[in-house]
Amino acid sequence: MLWSLLLLFALTLLLPLIPYAVAYVNPDAGGVPNPGSELWREVRHANVGTTQVQGVDSGVLISEYGERWRQYRMQQLAPWGAMVLGAMVGIFIVYYLVRGKIRIEDGRSGKRVRRYTTTEMTVHWILASTFVLLALSGLILLYGRWLLIPLLGASGFSVTATVCKLLHNYVGLLFAAIVPIAFFLYLKDSLFNLKVDGRWFMRAGGYFGGEEPSSEKVNAGQKMWYWVAMLGGFVLITSGLLLDFTNLFQQGREWLMGAHVVHTIASIGVIAFFIVHLYLATVGVEGALESMVNGHVDANWARQHHDLWYQELQAGQDSTVPKEGLKAGGTHAGGVASPLVKD
Amino acid sequence: MARMKFLCDAERCIECNACVTACKNENEVPWGVNRRRVVTINDGSPAERSMSVACMHCSDAPCAAVCPVDCFYFTDDGVVLHDKDICIGCGYCFYACPFGAPQFPKNEAFGSRGKMDKCTFCAGGPLPDNSPEEFAEYGSNRLAEGKLPLCAEMCATRALLAGDGDTVSEIFRERVTWRGASGFAWGWGVAYNKPGIRRGYAVEDKATGGD
Amino acid sequence: MKLVKKQGTDASPLHAAVLGATIDRRTFLKRSGITAGGIAAAGTLSMSMMKKAAATDRTPTDKGTPTQIRSICTHCSVGCGIYAEVENGVWTGQEPAFDHPFNRGAHCAKGASVREHGHGERRLKYPTKLVNGKWTRVSWEQALDEIGDQMLAIREQSGPDSVYWLGSAKHNNEQAYMFSKFAAFWGTNNMDHQARICHSTTVAGVANTWGYGAMTNSYNDIHNSQAILIIGGNPAEAHPVSLQHIFRATERNNAPLIVIDPRFTRTAAHADQFIRLRPGTDVPVVWGMLWHIFENGWEDKEFIKQRVYGMDEVRAEVAKWTPDEVERVSGVPEETIKRAAQTMAEHRPGTFIWCMGGTQHTIGNNNTRAYCIFQLALGNMGVAGGGTNIFRGHDNVQGATDFGVLSHTLPGYYGLSEGAWKHWAAVWGVDYDWLAGRFDKEERPGEFFGEEGPSDKSVNPMTEKGITVSRWIDGVLEDKTNIAQRDNLRAMVFWGHAPNSQTRGVEMKQAMEKLDLMVIIDPYPTASAVMQDRTEGVYLLPAATQFETYGSVTASNRSLQWRDKVIDPLFESLPDHTIMYKLANKLGFGDEFCTNIQVSNDEPLIEDITREFNKGMWTIGYTGQSPERLKEHQQNWHTFDYTSLQAKGGPANGDYYGLPWPCWGTAEMRHPGSANLYDTSKPVAEGGLNFRARFGVERDGVNLLAEGSWSKGAEIKDGYPEFDADVLKKLGWWDDLTADEKQLAEDKNWKTDRSGGIQRVAIKHGCAPFGNAKARAVVWTFPDQVPIHREPLYTSRRDLVEKYPTYADRKDFYRLPTRYESIQAKDYTGDYPLIMTSGRLVEYEGGGDETRSNPWLAELQQHMFAEINIVDANNNNIKDGEQIWLESPEGSRIKIMAKITQEGVAPGVVWMPFHFAGHFEGRDLRDKYPKGSDPYVLGEACNTAFTYGYDSVTQMQETKCSLCRITPA
Repeated sequence: MLWSLLLLFALTLLLPLIPYAVAYVNPDAGGVPNPGSELWREVRHANVGTTQVQGVDSGVLISEYGERWRQYRMQQLAPWGAMVLGAMVGIFIVYYLVRGKIRIEDGRSGKRVRRYTTTEMTVHWILASTFVLLALSGLILLYGRWLLIPLLGASGFSVTATVCKLLHNYVGLLFAAIVPIAFFLYLKDSLFNLKVDGRWFMRAGGYFGGEEPSSEKVNAGQKMWYWVAMLGGFVLITSGLLLDFTNLFQQGREWLMGAHVVHTIASIGVIAFFIVHLYLATVGVEGALESMVNGHVDANWARQHHDLWYQELQAGQDSTVPKEGLKAGGTHAGGVASPLVKD
Repeated sequence: MARMKFLCDAERCIECNACVTACKNENEVPWGVNRRRVVTINDGSPAERSMSVACMHCSDAPCAAVCPVDCFYFTDDGVVLHDKDICIGCGYCFYACPFGAPQFPKNEAFGSRGKMDKCTFCAGGPLPDNSPEEFAEYGSNRLAEGKLPLCAEMCATRALLAGDGDTVSEIFRERVTWRGASGFAWGWGVAYNKPGIRRGYAVEDKATGGD
Repeated sequence: MKLVKKQGTDASPLHAAVLGATIDRRTFLKRSGITAGGIAAAGTLSMSMMKKAAATDRTPTDKGTPTQIRSICTHCSVGCGIYAEVENGVWTGQEPAFDHPFNRGAHCAKGASVREHGHGERRLKYPTKLVNGKWTRVSWEQALDEIGDQMLAIREQSGPDSVYWLGSAKHNNEQAYMFSKFAAFWGTNNMDHQARICHSTTVAGVANTWGYGAMTNSYNDIHNSQAILIIGGNPAEAHPVSLQHIFRATERNNAPLIVIDPRFTRTAAHADQFIRLRPGTDVPVVWGMLWHIFENGWEDKEFIKQRVYGMDEVRAEVAKWTPDEVERVSGVPEETIKRAAQTMAEHRPGTFIWCMGGTQHTIGNNNTRAYCIFQLALGNMGVAGGGTNIFRGHDNVQGATDFGVLSHTLPGYYGLSEGAWKHWAAVWGVDYDWLAGRFDKEERPGEFFGEEGPSDKSVNPMTEKGITVSRWIDGVLEDKTNIAQRDNLRAMVFWGHAPNSQTRGVEMKQAMEKLDLMVIIDPYPTASAVMQDRTEGVYLLPAATQFETYGSVTASNRSLQWRDKVIDPLFESLPDHTIMYKLANKLGFGDEFCTNIQVSNDEPLIEDITREFNKGMWTIGYTGQSPERLKEHQQNWHTFDYTSLQAKGGPANGDYYGLPWPCWGTAEMRHPGSANLYDTSKPVAEGGLNFRARFGVERDGVNLLAEGSWSKGAEIKDGYPEFDADVLKKLGWWDDLTADEKQLAEDKNWKTDRSGGIQRVAIKHGCAPFGNAKARAVVWTFPDQVPIHREPLYTSRRDLVEKYPTYADRKDFYRLPTRYESIQAKDYTGDYPLIMTSGRLVEYEGGGDETRSNPWLAELQQHMFAEINIVDANNNNIKDGEQIWLESPEGSRIKIMAKITQEGVAPGVVWMPFHFAGHFEGRDLRDKYPKGSDPYVLGEACNTAFTYGYDSVTQMQETKCSLCRITPA
């Protein structure tokens, strides 16, 4: 349910682009021809002119895409982006108020099982920190003019924006390096298992009532997040590199504007999913965060949320995994107490 | 208050580039930055026409609209200026500007462009009028001296006109009347009358016929 | 806030800041040096470096207070006025001269960037000589001493004719005049300048048609034109400000503009009719138009009857140019030609404009005369709005031509006869015998056939035309026995000349390497400094620009304009006339050189030079333009009318701006100058004239004087011969002369009477001093009496050679054997199928050393290119923007960028701009420039590839029609 809701959101994101696409395929809409306009038309449609001034796009007399891009950024990206992200945050606040934290039903067993290797955790946190930096700096550049200039003043915000721009442009490269690693690292666990994951989706992961469906080490929602983050990441990286290295092939404005549109849509989408992930991994589900903090989870947590994986572990060689179901003995320790537990 | 505008008469522009070098001369603009340029379409064919283009100081300036740090401002004369101390060199104004006016001293890796530079209508910038600092950052401030942009003042054929919009269109209209043919005030629709994306024609007519 | 700069030490922080930013000239130059230093390629100019200089070098701390100086643009012959703002000796600003009658403040790219001259970062900074292949700085004294000694040694061994003095159209009038005098005092006619290779065929053709070889009307007068025809010219690039005047006619008069050119130029883009002709077929096209005019009876019969001699012979020639034949030869179809002819016939007066496209041919003189005849046939001469508006090239090429910086005439077109020499010896205040003694004495039998007709008298070097600039390389390379002087040229002095403006670059390199001595006197090193591979015997002497000195300059319309000095000479450069004086001293004629001229600090006083030539230039009326009158005009630009150029009120009331020559008589006579030549609607005293009686009074029993036409108010109401003492006496006007005038005028004519009395009296009676005759459509002293078509030497149309062959080879033509038919005999079209032609770019001028060193201009044209039709490009596997080799039939080749065009040039034609230099046959010569003086932009000179071919009257080089082939590089 939630995921389909998210999908709907993603689609609504594209809605405002419809008139844009229409304008694109029908460039003459709204034009009233007149005798003096022949040259004008020429200027607008013609091929690039010639000029003695060397420079990117210097031969373009007038660019109509600029106006469209302005419309996109000011009338679509900024308001819709804000709405989407705001809605996501809102949804989870409401969800939290209604549903509260998802506890470990049977309490903590005290027995912990290994969930992530050090490499997996390191990569995750590099990816997470670069992503957060990029998302924050990007959002500041997008919304700072309205949100921060009243607070910091134009000069003050200029410094902030400069820092954000630098961060965004340099950290972006790190992000570009880590995403492919993450892609291969988590790929195996994130391949969809139609039967299991299908059922998981059907029941909306049990988040809206009903029994929590079975899942493997990585449940279908998490797999989906993986794919969104990775594919979105590749889109962000590709478009970002075009924007970051404008001297790559001296790409002109149309390239840059196109890349910017793609980059921003993808980023809003990925950030929206990221909010889901952030919620579930922290306040949403008890005992989830520790898996990425010390690599271990409570056996009860594993059994509750990733039963198939837990069964696999029980069948496996690892002696630390309890062989029989654990029912009691644990405590409902609040949230993230266990990171302090040493291995 | 005057509303300063540029007008380039495509029937007269001969691509002599005087406006380009006059601008360099007056503002000491460095190599690689051209606040003004002349673009020729259909070069070498009977439909060849040239137009001198720079910042048009639009009424609803897209550069100012998209600037993430809001570094643009409008003078009482309708001139669009910007504050280089605030500019972060993001290049958004370059995307949005229909005329390709914003210029950047560099185009290097990691989006490194330097501060945006553009035509100031020879009106300097936010620093004290005609101070050395203003000249160093923004170039000349001729308006403060009661003069008009040098590019237009030096145009070989008077194709490029600059000044109060009413005066400029009056000069142009008179010329078109002499010619007994249709005229064409290039870029006015886009720059001074916000018609949306696609409705430049009627405005062109107005500028040439009876504004 | 206005900041006011004070010179004192004001302690306030504001003033301290301002003063801190103020610059004196020295730090300014130092900074300029830093800015320019170490930047090898223009494309790599670092922004921050330029910015730093920009920010500090020009700090308009006291806008409004700098000194404003009036000068004239040093680029082209339009003569645009300039306001230069100078602070503390630094040229800090340039303001449009809205009150200037020529340009009304307007400029082209070059004019709008002249202030960069005040930076001068790529200038030649010190006297420099080549020692073992390395440039070595020397002092002026050492340089001039060494040069002088070597010249004197050459003079001793080979005679004065072995030193060649190559002058410049960039000198002002005073310097050009002194240069001419300098060569005379050295004792040679081997002196020339760029006019030879730009409009010499115009000057010869036009002067021989109606008297004077110059633009007849003016740029401003085009306002009155009802039609405009431009052939072989691209004023939108070469004279952009002239378009301001042309547009006035096209807009206000609805005057049609016809452009005839092989290339669709930026001028053509504004034309009502564009006619594309095959290069070199001007005569067929003009005769083709005239064919329709005669056929339909559109000619001005009354005008022809009264004022034209020989039109019937033209008619016979024109009759051969039927529409079919015109199309066969030129490629222009009948209806196009007819439409143009009809346009010109129906819109009168129409003006006829031409430039290098018409002049630079082996038959250039035929072309220019055909243009003149066209205007005569329509009666377009001598009227406002009509005329032949010949756009001259360099800012002072008209002046330098008038002052005889030419191998065939003394100042004022006096020729080289003994009488002419005596006239000038008297003006110069030197003894004629001393002067004659300066020349080589060796006489030789002459076979000359040229402007003065065939001659078999024996000639001596003093009265024999010298070698032309176009041929100096042959003066060096040709076998000594074939040259009509004692020895080869052994020393070359390039005094303001770019060698890349001349054809046959590969041979020029050889010639440069064969010389004993090369002296280059120029603000820039020029390609002369680098294109040869010498290791010694080259001197570079830094000359000041025209903004660093002052004097008069003659615009294309014959107006003299006064320039004030803007800044002091930069670095160690010296004004040209100072260098002349210093060198004259070294060579032993310093005292004679300045007999009438005050010299201080080795600098001859400019005003005294003006006054001296005022006393001698009677032929073309350079006598009324005293320095005082010229300065008065300069200070009162605003009083002159934009169309008529006449002052309305003010101190110069009634004068035409710049006293366009002829400005008859002495300055005291206050003749207003002649705005439009041969205009009979005005009295001579008010600038009116008629055609000049230059060619006698009758020929074969036919009257050459005007019939029934005279200038308004003339007391002789018919044609009359030129005035001399005898004529005055016969007319009973002798006693109108004062006693003093009589003394000087006795036995003299209007040209040689140094009192000016004969001119004064003739004009008093309403008569033109030079008589009143018909223009001649037949020039019986030229190889082709009536202009005819001849195929170029390297023609692409072998099928036409038989019917339109070139001339026979000549043994002695300006002292050199000159080839025509022996070259045309060979068919090169198999290997070299494309026609090669050349032209100009607006950003650059001439050889381009100055403009390519100006970053504001250089940025706009960074690559030498060839414009190639898409068909030829595809046939030769050439892509746009790629490098190609262009090879000429003489074996030279250049590596340039291909610029592919759909319609710019026709298939089969390759067009190139000519301003580039610094690459030679694919080799980049940047390292060979003296450090820091390499222009920002270098490129192949198109003339490296251009081939042999010289006009049959003036030795004008052929740069508009040769053959080539192109291959990808």
